[in-house]
Formats: sequence, structure tokens, C-alpha cells
Amino acid sequence: MSMSTEAEVEQTTRGAGRGAPASRPAPTGAGSTLAERTRLRSDVALAARILAANWPIDTFIAVNPAGGLENRPFGEAVTMVEEAYGANGFPGGHVFRQAYADGRITDRDLDAAVRRRCPALPVLPAMSLGGKPVTAVDLVCSDLLHGGGRPHPQRRYRMRSEVSAPAIADLVDAQAAKWCAAYLDSAQASWMMPGRDRGFYGAWRDLASLDRSLAAPVRSRLRSLPYGPEDAAITALRQLRVPSSDVRVYLTAHLTRLPGWAAQVNWRGTTDAGLDVLSYLAMRLSYEAALLAEEGNAPPAGGMIAGAPTAAPADSSLRRADVVAAVLATERVGADELAVAAAVLDMVPVPDRELLWLDALEFGYRDRLLRALPARTNQPPSIRPAVQLVCCIDVRSEGLRRRLEEAGNYETFGFAGFFAVAIRFQELSGGATSDLCPVLLKPRNEIAETPLPGREDAARRKVAGARAIAGAQDAFHAAKDDLLSPFALAEAAGWVAGPVGAAKTLAPGPFGAVRDRLRSLLSPPAPTALSIDTGFTVDELVMFGQVALTMMGLTGTFGRLVVLSGHGSTTENNPYASALDCGACGGNRGAPNARTAAAILNRADVRDALRDSGIAIPADTVFVAAEHDTAVDRVELLDQHLVPPSHYGDVATLAADLAKAGAKLAAERCLTLPGARRRRPSAAAAHVRARSKDWAQVFPEWGLAGNAAFIVGPRTMTKGLDLQRRTFLHSYDADVDPDGSALETILTAPLVVAQWINCQYYFSTVDQGVFGSGTKTVHNVVAGVGVLSGHNGDLRLGLPWQSVSDGKRLLHEPMRLFAVVQAPQDRIDGIIQRNTVLQNLFHNDWVALAARDTARSPWNRYTADGWVRWSATEEEL
Amino acid sequence: MNRDHLSKMAKIEVVVTGTTAPAVRDLFRTIGATGFTSVSGVSGLGHHGYHQGRLLFNEQATLEMLITVVPEEKVEALLAGLKPLLQESSGVMFLSDTFVSRPEYFS
Repeated sequence: MSMSTEAEVEQTTRGAGRGAPASRPAPTGAGSTLAERTRLRSDVALAARILAANWPIDTFIAVNPAGGLENRPFGEAVTMVEEAYGANGFPGGHVFRQAYADGRITDRDLDAAVRRRCPALPVLPAMSLGGKPVTAVDLVCSDLLHGGGRPHPQRRYRMRSEVSAPAIADLVDAQAAKWCAAYLDSAQASWMMPGRDRGFYGAWRDLASLDRSLAAPVRSRLRSLPYGPEDAAITALRQLRVPSSDVRVYLTAHLTRLPGWAAQVNWRGTTDAGLDVLSYLAMRLSYEAALLAEEGNAPPAGGMIAGAPTAAPADSSLRRADVVAAVLATERVGADELAVAAAVLDMVPVPDRELLWLDALEFGYRDRLLRALPARTNQPPSIRPAVQLVCCIDVRSEGLRRRLEEAGNYETFGFAGFFAVAIRFQELSGGATSDLCPVLLKPRNEIAETPLPGREDAARRKVAGARAIAGAQDAFHAAKDDLLSPFALAEAAGWVAGPVGAAKTLAPGPFGAVRDRLRSLLSPPAPTALSIDTGFTVDELVMFGQVALTMMGLTGTFGRLVVLSGHGSTTENNPYASALDCGACGGNRGAPNARTAAAILNRADVRDALRDSGIAIPADTVFVAAEHDTAVDRVELLDQHLVPPSHYGDVATLAADLAKAGAKLAAERCLTLPGARRRRPSAAAAHVRARSKDWAQVFPEWGLAGNAAFIVGPRTMTKGLDLQRRTFLHSYDADVDPDGSALETILTAPLVVAQWINCQYYFSTVDQGVFGSGTKTVHNVVAGVGVLSGHNGDLRLGLPWQSVSDGKRLLHEPMRLFAVVQAPQDRIDGIIQRNTVLQNLFHNDWVALAARDTARSPWNRYTADGWVRWSATEEEL
Repeated sequence: MNRDHLSKMAKIEVVVTGTTAPAVRDLFRTIGATGFTSVSGVSGLGHHGYHQGRLLFNEQATLEMLITVVPEEKVEALLAGLKPLLQESSGVMFLSDTFVSRPEYFS
């Protein structure tokens, strides 16, 4: 086997020039070998692991910004992220100390955290400090409470220009942001970037040299760039004199300059957008090389890429011992005593203090949660439930379930909100299809909304009205955005715009109601059906029914109504609206999935087949779809035209109880919504309705803020508890899943999505500047893909400040997810052993796991070395 | 076996997680492989124990096997990219001789 020949190099170089115009002069610097190109590809793929995949904002998907590092321990991955971005990966000592001062972290929590993370400390003999006996655990706890902070993380790897010519680094960023926005624009701009059919690099290469904001020599260099991004990147790296051993970290330095755009590009690379991380880097590197050459900043030959600037050194162990001694000792402390104390503190380096604090914060919550979970066995209900409500596992469903159960004979369940149907959905009014499933999956079935047979006229009126409204909106926006028409528009419509704006601002509730009424008159609702006959085979329908019902543990007693409730959130003027919709439905509203699932489970042939497999659904059981609007706590029962008359009374009673439950939930939420206050349920319901219509409202709801645990088990584990809308609740009955296949599906999919959500909230909270998107008040939507803070700069990552904080305090406590499972532990062990994704999460401390075999069993916590009694630590204390 | 009318080629089989598979496919394309076979949801016993095959609701977490056949002179270039990738990822790679009846399909 031999290396590529020069002839091959020429051939493949030409092959890379897809779409290259024949009239252009031959580019320079395109002499890379095939091996160099594959090596570069590999380096790019590995460097890109520092990036999240950032979905467009209209289908916001919560992701772990450090997801590419989940094969490493949490602490190590956070350190890597901190060094790459110069960002905080922990909440910071002041947050923890405030939690301690507030009693949120207790001495017992600190003790437990130290004992678990540093098992060698409790067995050390007590030492003397100024004549006072002190244990090693006391010493470390005191260091946590009174020790100094750690220096703010600094970027470890830097671009050449970042060190030698910062203005050039800024210009590279500005150009990168400009061209990404131009290329990815989804019809927000009036003029589209030409040449997009040639892909990002080709389109940019043709235009970059025409940019008059750059000096002529720079443009000349850009004009002679290679036709392919691989050759361009290799050429630029040579010009920048980056040693081959440093290429990966150099690429990391470029990727972490604009983490938002880079993460967006990282996601685009998984689609057919013509833009990937390699093309993006080729552009950045080419700019940097051309600009540095023009400025005469020739990079030094060889050598390492510049490291981090000198950070303030962390406290030495002796210094830390001195501080602790001043707090604990009552008499003068000798040098020997200090040396012993320093040796103990050496066992807990300064960076580990943040991990210990985090452990303590988490331990307090988790311990209280496990103590609250009752040891109730899962008995079948003594009377048949009137209604069974199946909600999404989303933490917001917990409040609705609790409130509805208070209202009467209701049984509730939790299940992933896509209801096991991964569909591509086409609405009746047409338009683009939506992929309604977790992003872990690709849609498996295409479902279209169709007119109900015999009601085609109503459907036609609805569609015609919807198109007329859309046409009017398009015309209005076109008139606003054109060159001259805004003047005419202002003359023609200005007289009404002022009063409308005032009404929207001063009376958002009534204004929204009038607008909805008008919309309903123009496009009246029409009964529709879904095309499940063509979207699924019968075998798929049956398999779906069996999987869904078994996974949620709903296989025995069925009520007269079984309601499958998806969810969505109605808000105004909110670029982050989709972040409040259903993550299991790909950042979309969940009604179509609920409707599809209900339609399948109402089919006689599906029920016949399910009966053969041991799931007997009574003839008088009707499945009904619903959607929970989490902004207003209103549950709409859908497709009521499909409900038989025999169940009209059941539906009416349910609707009334849902309204009462929703109002009580609204009152509960008003206690923490900024600008709201304690209200009666009816007033609270009116308040949240008006709030959702308010175009100036930056706190429409709290979304999943506060999420902290994922509970897998029967509802008997949690019924009657106020879990404060902090827990994902997935129903599961171990008795109907002897082979563990349902549990394996729950742990490898819903748990994984919940962990992404948890990490998105965690990182958005610990560093808003890098992993969060900052305040909503200065957001501008750009290119239809995301937001900027102001008019330029990086695309913002993560969640806005108003999603995690009320402005005065954090509403989201940054904690890692806690999985709580009621199932045989050997079953859980087997599932973890055969799934790397779970080993990564549980062994590397991204998610903690506690389990009990049955309701009567004690809680154990999972470690890589086996199960340990949860309460063991408590007994030691 | 009579191989007189067959042409010798190199076969590369790579088993990686679903998240690493796109990078491997990119490498195949970069060296000009004319095609590849992809088998998702593969299971088996490896260095880190048994690996589950197909998962019901997660297509990213399972292992994927990618197979391509290329002329021998392209193997070194492919290895130059694959080796560092596999050093940082869980997965295995097999390189073996193979014989094809229509070499023009593979080069």
C-alpha cells in the first residue's frame, strides 16, 4: 500500500471544484495530498466535538452544549469546555454560598457530598488545629464555606490573530457571522445570497473577493483561493504556520470564537444545507491568513499555538489552611498543624470545590425527594377510573395531573409526548411539513390532515380563509420591507396602527380575544381526520399500540375515556416560542401526535389484535386526543366530532374538571411569575390568558425551569405529592415488562432527551454570556435561524435570561438530572451494560441514578462499581 | 478458489457509534470511494462488553457498521483520517484484501 501519487492529487483537486467557473484563473495553493485531506477531515470532526448542534429557533431543541464530551467524566468535560470557551461551567462559589445562607444547602448536605466524593477523608484521624480537634471532613467543609474563589476560566487555545492582531480576529468573526447569516437566511431578507446552489464555500468564494470593505490585496488573495474547502483550509493552515500536531486545537480555537454560529453550522452539516463545519472553517482560516499576510503579521514558524494568558493563581493549600484555621481554631495554630491541614486540603484541589458544592446542592434535593416518595404498592384501582389522562413526561404536566386528580375519579399517566408515533405531518391548509418526533429519530410515517368525509365544504372554507389571512400578512410584510412602499403603507394604515398598538399593549387579553374571534370568522374551524390508513400498515398500528400501552403501564383497567394529551404553548412576539413546545415532538406542538395515537387506538382491528396479545380494551373505552396549552393551563379536547354520543356526558364532565384544574394550576404558577401575584383561580386563569397574548411579555411562562429529576414508575409512587413541576414523570409498571424492553426504551430515549433539556438549562444558567442567549429585550431575529443581541455579533446559544431568572434570583437551580426508577436492579444493570449511551451518562456523572426493586424495597444509588444503599451516608453522619 | 478473473481490492469495515458514522462516511467520500454499505443497529460483544442492537426510539445511540471497497492505493490516505478518529472514539476497524469481478465499479 502506498501513498497517493501526484497524479491523483491533481485529479482529486479538480474533482473538488464542483461548480467552479471555467473562466476563472487557476487557484493557487491547491497542492494537498489525499492523506492531508482525510487527516484534516478527521481533525475537523474531532474539533467539532466541542460544539453543540444548534437547531434553528423555530424548532428549538434543547441540547447539552457539552454533548460531544459525554464520554468523559462530567468534571473533566466541564473543565474542557471552560478552557475552550473561557466560560464558567459551574454556578460559581457565590451562588452556592447564597444557597447555603438561604438554607437550601445544609451542613448535612455538605457532609454527605464530601463523604461521597472523597471517601478517603472520613477515615482519616482527627487532627488538632489550634488545640481544637477537627476532622478532615470538617476541614474541607470549612474550606468550601470560607475559601477564596477560583479564577475565571480563560480560553486555552487562541488564533494567531487573537494574540498578535486582535482587530483581525474580530474582523474574521464579523465576516464569518455576515456570510453565515446571508447563506442561511430563510426568506427574512429581500435579496437572497446568490450562488447558494453551489454550497456555502462555493458561494462565499465567488462573493468574498468582491467585498469592497476589504483592502484590494486581501481581495486578490481571496480571489485565488482553491475551489474546494479542504484545499483552502490546508493552504491557510500552512500560511498560518500551524504545526500538524496543533491543527486540531487551532480549529477548536476558531470554532469557539463564535460558538453560536459554529453550533448552528454543526447542525446544518447533518442536513443537505451545503454548509458544514469544514466549509465554515475554510472560510475563517482563509480570511485570517489573507488578513494577517496583508498586515505583515507573518506568523512565527512552528511552535505551539498561543496558550491562555496568565490567570490569577488558585490559592495554595497552605493559604487555604490558613483561612480555615482562622475560622476553626480557638488558639494559635502551629506550623505543623497548618502543614497537616494543608496536606488534607491538597486532596481536594480548588477546581474540585465547585463539584463538591454542586454535589451538596443536588444531595439535598435528591434526599428530600426520595424520602417523600411513599412505599405504596401498585394496586389496580378499586373502582374503574372515569377518565385516564396520559400527559407528556414534561415537568409542566406534573402540576396538571396533580390538580386533575384532586378533582375526582381520575387516573393519570406520563409518556413521551410524541406518543410513540414518529410522524411527518401535513396540515390541512398545506405549507411545509413538520417532523413530529424526538430528534433521536427520523419520522417513520407520513400523516396528512384531511377533510372529514361529508364535511369537505367546511374544510374548503377553513383553508380559503387561512390562505387569505396568510396572503394579507405576506402583503403587509412585503410592503413594510420594500424600498418605497413603507411610505405609502404609513399613509394608508398609519392611522390605525397607533390605536392597534395601544390596544395590544394596554389590553392584551381583550385585544387577543377579538383577534382570535376575527380569525375564527375568516377561517372557521372544520372537522378533520388524519390519514392513518395510508400512513401506517396494520402491523405498524398494532405494534404501536402494544408498545405505547406497555411502556406507560396501561394494560389492565381502562376508563370510559382515555385522553392522550400533547402540549404546546401560545405566546406572542416570542422568538423562543418553540422552546416552550414539546421537545418530544421536535420543538413543535403535540396535538397531531395525540390525534394520531388516539385514532389508532380507537380502531377495531387494532383492538382485536391487542386483545390477542393480552391487552383487552373494553368496547366502551374511547380514546380522545387533547392538547395542554402550558402558557394558559387550558386543555382543549380535540376531534370531539369523533366521540360517540354515548360519551358526550363524560366529555362534558371532563372538560369542566379540566377547566377547574387548569385555573388552580394557573393560580399556583402566578406565585412565581414576575408581575403576577397571589390570585383566586378564576382571576389567575384570566391573568395567564392575557399574559399569553401580551406582545411585550418576556416571562410568558417558566417552561421547564427547575427541572431536576426523572421518575420512572407507577403513579402510586408520586400521587398526592406536590413535586413543584420539577420532575419528568414517566409511567412504568415493571410487572408488565418482564424482559425489560419497555424500560430499556424509556432509559435510552425519554431519559436521554430529558438529560439534554436538563443540561441546556444547567449551562444556560451557569454562563449566560456563552451558553445562554442573554436578555430578550435586545434580541433581534437573524436569518430566521436564531437571535443576535443587538444588531451584530454571534448567534446566541441556549435559553434567554428570562427563562432561568426573574431578574433578581435564579428560577432554575443548576443541577444535574436525577433518575429515579422503580424496577428490579438486575434489570437496570443489564440495560446499562449493553448501552454505551447509558454508561456514559451514569458512569461519568452526567445523570445520577437511584432505584428500588419494589415499592417496599430501600432506595439504592447506582455507581460504576455497583449499587450502594442511598441511606448509608446518612447513617454515617 | 479460482481468482484469475477477479481484481484485488481493499475492504475496510468500520464499526462506530451513530454519532461518529457521518465523519467516517465523509472520509469515504474524500478518498473518492464510489460507494459504501451501511448497516445500522448492529449488536455484538466488544472491548466494553455487549452492545445493544436496534433501539426503538433512539437511532443515534446504536452502533453502525460501514463497509467500503477501494483500490489499494487509496487505503493509506483513508487510514490517515480513520486512525486519529478511532483513537478518540469507541469503535473498531478491519482492513482486508478482497476480490471483485468489476473493478471499474470501485475506482
